[in-house]
Amino acid sequence: MNKFLEKSEIKRLKDLTFWQKLFIPEIFKALKITVKQIFKPSFTIQYPEVKFQKPESFRGSPILVEENGVERCVACGLCSRVCPALAIDVQAAETTLEKERYPEKFEINMLRCIFCGFCEEVCPEEAIIMSSDYELSFTNYNDAIYGKEKLLVPIEKVKERLEFLRKNR
Amino acid sequence: MPATSTLDYRKIRQEKIIKTLVNKDLSIQFEDHLENEMILNMGPQHPATHGVLRLLLKLDGESVMQCVPELGYLHRGYEKLAENCSYHEFIPHTDRLDYLSPLMNNTAYVLAVEKLLGIDVPRRTKFIRTIISELARISSHCLFVGSMGMDIGAVTVFLWTFREREKLYDIFENLTGARFTTSYTRIGGLSQDLNPEVLQMMKDFVEQFPEKLNDCEKLLNSNRIFVERTDGVGAISPEDAISIGMTGPNLRATGIEHDMRRVEPYLLYNEFDFDIPTFTGGDCLARYYVRINEMKQSIKILQQALEKIPEGPIHAFEPKKVLPRKERVYTKMEELIQDFMLINYGTEPPVGEIYHAIEGSKGELGFYIQSKGEGQPWRMKIRSPSFCNLQSLPKLVQNSMISDVVAIIGSIDPIMGEADK
Repeated sequence: MNKFLEKSEIKRLKDLTFWQKLFIPEIFKALKITVKQIFKPSFTIQYPEVKFQKPESFRGSPILVEENGVERCVACGLCSRVCPALAIDVQAAETTLEKERYPEKFEINMLRCIFCGFCEEVCPEEAIIMSSDYELSFTNYNDAIYGKEKLLVPIEKVKERLEFLRKNR
Repeated sequence: MPATSTLDYRKIRQEKIIKTLVNKDLSIQFEDHLENEMILNMGPQHPATHGVLRLLLKLDGESVMQCVPELGYLHRGYEKLAENCSYHEFIPHTDRLDYLSPLMNNTAYVLAVEKLLGIDVPRRTKFIRTIISELARISSHCLFVGSMGMDIGAVTVFLWTFREREKLYDIFENLTGARFTTSYTRIGGLSQDLNPEVLQMMKDFVEQFPEKLNDCEKLLNSNRIFVERTDGVGAISPEDAISIGMTGPNLRATGIEHDMRRVEPYLLYNEFDFDIPTFTGGDCLARYYVRINEMKQSIKILQQALEKIPEGPIHAFEPKKVLPRKERVYTKMEELIQDFMLINYGTEPPVGEIYHAIEGSKGELGFYIQSKGEGQPWRMKIRSPSFCNLQSLPKLVQNSMISDVVAIIGSIDPIMGEADK
């Protein structure tokens, strides 16, 4: 037999004492519990003025890593294949550089992106990573489609994230 | 003949409607004014229906004679979507089923896929999955206590449980990178390892939580308004509960000790010492007590798991089924090819079908996968506990007052994202 069923102690209406049924003293008891909270430190933060501390594993909007003035991406298309929201559009072209291929067009539709981090996880070149940016706003649909000019970020600015990935993935 | 504009047509139609209405006998005869039934439409935008649930209530005065729930307002076709996703791609979709305990859905889904693929994950991964499942259960039950209290009129508890949930979300954010849509588990592993800092955060949470829960209990347990509005309201017999297919805390409130963690132990639940809270009565108050006590048992499991968590790898060594590690993808050819193959074609499971269920926060959460040996499931069925629990609603609200409907919906804790899939 279940231990819990034997000593099941639901406090039903008939189990309440006279003073509890009277309700007035109970109000003061409850007030004692709630008033105690006033003296405890406040738990909320004033959001737009005070920004919250982002942990290092935070997944923000995806960006492309720029190294030596060009993107690391070789336009293999794995990110656009794995994207569950079909937000990424890549078009490859040839280049004379050592890596031979580069994305002629690389667009992420930020209205579709769900920040799941799958593109970052599968990228074989460490070219697409999640930044810590999460406050995105647009006024029309076309602004939400980020091209290469908006996505490319120099490698110096994303050092922390790259280090985190090397350590944890 | 002059051209007739749209406005003229509208005028003509309006006149016709008025004519037909006036010609008919519109007067209704009432013999007794109190003997009339009224149809009330509750939802889908009602704040007490926890999402987009629509109820059509047939009322006699203030008591409910009949209730017809209408589901499907949040239907996104996840079962069909799964047929066009590889097994890996479907992980973010599971976050959006029961959005109050996404980590638990992630775990349930990958456990089902791993059962299909025949992968055995390392012990540390099992520990982490057990821990996150229990944290997700606490998070979900916290919301239950808060929102049910608020439905009945106790707003303070709502704020307090949300404060606890905020701490949990901080842990999830540090652990997974996102507060809400975690997408944490992977087939054969996890997306990233549990850091010592996050482990310390979990320990701190476990340490301080029972006291905060006690505060909430003090406000509710002997509160006459709360007890009077839940005691004996929406009672269901164990036989009915079983025949409807209720699972989870709602079933255990009727006195039946059925918990997937005991019946079919998965992960490491057979190694931990915990009780299964069961109460009799099957009413709203019993359902509340079951969940409060389940949180205490979850804390008990967490205390044991956080103490015993071993070091070691978190990924199963199955090169053809599990995504390779990043540092090897950058340097080794075989892993690079494997990365491309797994993403483009998906892991290829054997032909067959499996069903794996876990004890979710709402009940038995199961994934039934039919495979034809391709990268995508041929058919996936999600056995969502909220959907099955909602079937009991017409029975529960029958002959109760209309204000009790709010308490009953709150007490069976449906999540429409999961019910409508």
